[in-house]
Amino acid sequence: MAVFEVFPTVFFLTLLSLRTYQSEVLAERLPLTPVSLKVSTNSAHQSLHLQWTVQNLPYHQELKMVFQIQISRIETSNVIWVGNYSTTVKWNQVLHWSWESELPLECATHFVRIKSTVVDARFPEPNFWSNWSSWVEVNVQDSLGQDILFVFPKDKLVEEGANVTICYVSRNIQNNVSCYWEGKQIYGEQLDPHVSVFHLSSVPFIRKTGADMYCEVSQGNVSKGIKGIVLFVSKVLEEPKDFSCETQDFKTLHCTWDPGVDTALGWSKQPSQSYTLFESFSGENKLCTHKNWCNWQITQDSQETYNFTLIAENYLRKRSVNILFNLTHRVYPMNPFSVDFENVNATNAKMTWKVHSMKKDFTYLCQIELYGEGKMMQYNVSIKVNGEYYLSELEPATEYMAQVRCADASHFWKWSEWSGQNFTTLEAAPSEAPDVWRNVNSEPGSHIVTLFWKPLSKLHANGKILFYNVVVENLDKPSRSELHSIPASAKSTKLTLNRHSYQVWVTANNSVGASPASIIVISADPENQEVEEERIAGTEGGFSLSWKPQPGDVVGYVVDWCDHPKYTLCDLQWKNVGPNATSTVISTDTFRPGVRYNFRIYGLSTKRIACLLAKKTGYSQELAPSDNPHVLVDKLTSHSFTLSWKYYSTESQPGFIQGYHVYLKSKARQCHPRFEKAVLSDGSECCKYKIDNPEEKALIVDNLKPKSFYEFFVTPFTSAGEGPNATFTKVTTPDEHSTMLIYILLPMFFCVLLIMIVCYLKSQWIKETCYPDIPDPYKSSILSLIKFKEKPHLTIMNVSDCIPDAIEVVSKPEGTKLQFRKSLTETELTRPNYVYLLPTEKNYSGPGPFICFENLTYNQAASDSGSCGHVPVPVNNPPSQLGLMISPENVQKALEKNYMNSLGEISAGETSLNYVSQLASPMSGDKDSLPTNPVEPPHCSEYKRQMAVPLCLVSPPPTENSSLSSITLLNPGEHYR
Amino acid sequence: MNWRQGQGHGADLRLPLPARLCLLTLLSPPLSSAAPISPAEPISQAYSLALYMQKNTSTLLQTYLRYQGSPFSDPGFSAPELQLSSLPPATAFFKTWHALDDGERLRLAQGAFLALTQHLQLVGDDQSDLNPGSPILLAQLRAARLRAQGLLGNMATIMTALGLPIPPEEDTLGLVAFGASAFERKCRGYVVTREYGHWTDRAVRDLALLKAKYPA
Repeated sequence: MAVFEVFPTVFFLTLLSLRTYQSEVLAERLPLTPVSLKVSTNSAHQSLHLQWTVQNLPYHQELKMVFQIQISRIETSNVIWVGNYSTTVKWNQVLHWSWESELPLECATHFVRIKSTVVDARFPEPNFWSNWSSWVEVNVQDSLGQDILFVFPKDKLVEEGANVTICYVSRNIQNNVSCYWEGKQIYGEQLDPHVSVFHLSSVPFIRKTGADMYCEVSQGNVSKGIKGIVLFVSKVLEEPKDFSCETQDFKTLHCTWDPGVDTALGWSKQPSQSYTLFESFSGENKLCTHKNWCNWQITQDSQETYNFTLIAENYLRKRSVNILFNLTHRVYPMNPFSVDFENVNATNAKMTWKVHSMKKDFTYLCQIELYGEGKMMQYNVSIKVNGEYYLSELEPATEYMAQVRCADASHFWKWSEWSGQNFTTLEAAPSEAPDVWRNVNSEPGSHIVTLFWKPLSKLHANGKILFYNVVVENLDKPSRSELHSIPASAKSTKLTLNRHSYQVWVTANNSVGASPASIIVISADPENQEVEEERIAGTEGGFSLSWKPQPGDVVGYVVDWCDHPKYTLCDLQWKNVGPNATSTVISTDTFRPGVRYNFRIYGLSTKRIACLLAKKTGYSQELAPSDNPHVLVDKLTSHSFTLSWKYYSTESQPGFIQGYHVYLKSKARQCHPRFEKAVLSDGSECCKYKIDNPEEKALIVDNLKPKSFYEFFVTPFTSAGEGPNATFTKVTTPDEHSTMLIYILLPMFFCVLLIMIVCYLKSQWIKETCYPDIPDPYKSSILSLIKFKEKPHLTIMNVSDCIPDAIEVVSKPEGTKLQFRKSLTETELTRPNYVYLLPTEKNYSGPGPFICFENLTYNQAASDSGSCGHVPVPVNNPPSQLGLMISPENVQKALEKNYMNSLGEISAGETSLNYVSQLASPMSGDKDSLPTNPVEPPHCSEYKRQMAVPLCLVSPPPTENSSLSSITLLNPGEHYR
Repeated sequence: MNWRQGQGHGADLRLPLPARLCLLTLLSPPLSSAAPISPAEPISQAYSLALYMQKNTSTLLQTYLRYQGSPFSDPGFSAPELQLSSLPPATAFFKTWHALDDGERLRLAQGAFLALTQHLQLVGDDQSDLNPGSPILLAQLRAARLRAQGLLGNMATIMTALGLPIPPEEDTLGLVAFGASAFERKCRGYVVTREYGHWTDRAVRDLALLKAKYPA
């Protein structure tokens, strides 16, 4: 109690003394002022380092003080930073404080001053600030040297995203300075005439070797030099991820983590971040040599709990993560070993393995995985050191793979890695009868039975099938059964059996034994072939088949078909269907579009006899016909024709033929009555006729126009469409009259032929009638007369020398003597109205006597006619005839003298023209002077039509241009003047 | 032949500098037997080596610049104003150069290539620090240094053959090299690789002149 009373008294006295002291100090004002302020610089860190002392501190006293520091830049009045620094000050202590400038110190002069105050609890308010110390100037620029340009800060290390201030100091303000950041010009603010400052905000990481900033000094256009800096921008150090530790043997802890980005930089500016492990319970730490894992030695067995801190560190930043764990909860066991199998048989095996020993009473939980036949089974088992497990219900003759892994059973942390081994179970007898089917071909007196079977599945074969046994037993006639052993590679066998009933057993055999038998009974009766085939439509999924149930008991149904119906080895397939089913779907990948599949459905009686119930046929997908029929054109008339394609096979097409399309093109716009208009794929229009019956393979196209051009095209169609496009066949209908013409021409031809035959037969008569033989003048009676007159020079005119179309007309008009020589063409002869005169120049040089000729051949006839006074003129002086120079008087005399026949004389007074015309004259040597008109034999009848033409009507010879009808009357005197 | 000699020198690069210089001296032809040797053969050998070096100087400079970033890697970069006080410039007035006697000419070249070998070593160190992942550049720098050393050896032989005194080897770099900033080091490397080219060009001319004077 006394103590408590004394204490306040002491306290009061102490306080009083302090107050007295304080008042003394404060009264002096100056004693606690900071003195001896010195400022040093660290250019690399851009920091000012201050050191000072406080005067007049009581000896061995400690005082809490606050120092206020002011920093100015360029000039003292430009205060850029003010801050307080609190610390406990001892007597005679030198105080240190640092300040980091964002601006490189070389860029500007800095000024620093400081003042202080006491904030010690022993000195309650009021507090007084000391006076400011004097300004201390910090000028680094002076020590730079004499270079023309400086850029700061040099080789600064910053973190990505930091703000950086860069400056340059140019010695000569006349120089032009351009600065570039990573090759791109940047513009700063001028701090003073020599210094410019650039603020780079949030600098990115560019490369490990740093980002470049340089300035180029130039005077005018002359480059004076370049100066630059490299700014080292580091990536931000990341916190390590997924940090964890575990042990496999209770001796070593293995710690791992994901380090994140590497923050190393070039020029050794910053190495990769370091990692340190610190364990707080033991107080130990370890510098890790790898960047993502570290091993920690467990030294004390007693320590169960660990508290690890992983510290990642680089020059700029430190990051740490922490984990706390119990060692026994972090056991990651080593792999099991010596995995083996014992007592392996067809369905069981014993698996054994070993694990590494850990601590005492350490229990493992092991997991076994068994892979086989595409399945996986999993089992768990707890063990101590040696593990074993009985694998049962295995498949015979199967390769298995078993693997095992283990974990701490009491505190599960992690499974070990797997350790595994393969083993194969032994074989067993096949467990199921093979699936057998047959095909029966009945031949006279025997059945050819082909047995087919499907290989047993691996599940049922229980090993490798070595052979099949086929046992055939005659049911009708007791005899020994036949055994056929077929190698395993065969899938069928052929048996030739008599027309008896047979029972066939088929078994599959492996090295252990035989499978149950598959039984089939072959009936003695031939298969019922009278079942009608029904068409069905398939789908992409397959064929849906249904049938009427077989009367009586059945054990099932079988549907069979060929996978390749077009081939000889058609690959018979079958499907077993249960006894209660009356429908099934056959689906297989082998069905192809456009292939017709034939299905047979059998019912299996209880006696295992198969009875054909139904036949189905169809396409999984119908296609358009692959080819078009070859069409023949028949019965072509002017109004119709018939198209026929009777040899076109509808069965071998990739779809059920539903009918035919007949396309007809003609010039007529309108289609025929039964046709309809259609547009072809090429856009052209035509007419189309549809035949709905696939067996109707002919079409009569009628109502056509004669002598017209038609084109047709016949194509079959299925449900999938028409046949391929092909060219149209061209047909031209014949002319309507041409047939009539034939009807007329043909009889005419026969008539002419008949006439010709008759003519031939009656040729003698016709000849005699139309052109009798010309009498031979040598045989004529006139010769005797001539001979009689003794005219040795007189010759008979030869017919071949005769000019048939020339006459000489001799005229003797009174008082004048003119000679004309006339020529008449054959035409003129036939047209007596026109007589052409052909004068010959030589002969008309002077007047001459007329000569009158007479064809003696026609003498008789001419005299008979009496129409013209023909005077027979004997040609007694042929040379003189050439010149025709005989005087008319002589001629007249000669005529009177020589021709003494009884012919009537015609006096010159009765007619002015007297001529005798005939074919020949003996002027063979004077042909040149004759007209060149064609010489033709005169018509037999024309001779009689010769007549005299009066001289006054004689026309001149025709010129090419003159008309035949013109008649020119010439006065001979005038003409030949 | 000379190239192999250069490689022989290169094998001793890990040794401290004095030891290397000693070895270099040992490998050089003995000074005592200078008189009977004809200068034509070593001149020819040195000339061949200089020609060979000349083919690769441009590649070295371009490779160096490519790895330094802007502005060095910028197309057409050239900064002739950048010089190193420790490296004598190769450029000289033609008249002055032509008026040099053989001894002076060889002494200048020998001094330059001695400085170049030391500077190339420095640049190689700098670059293995800055660009450790660029073996092509480091290999080219190393090759250039070995060739410069080889040429030095050849020149010493010529000088011996001509009866000229071989100047003593000295450390041209001094103490200044280590405080340089990254940018300064890049600049330094640029000047060294550039001057290596210029001095090689000059050495070809020097040796051509000598070759004409001392025909085989």
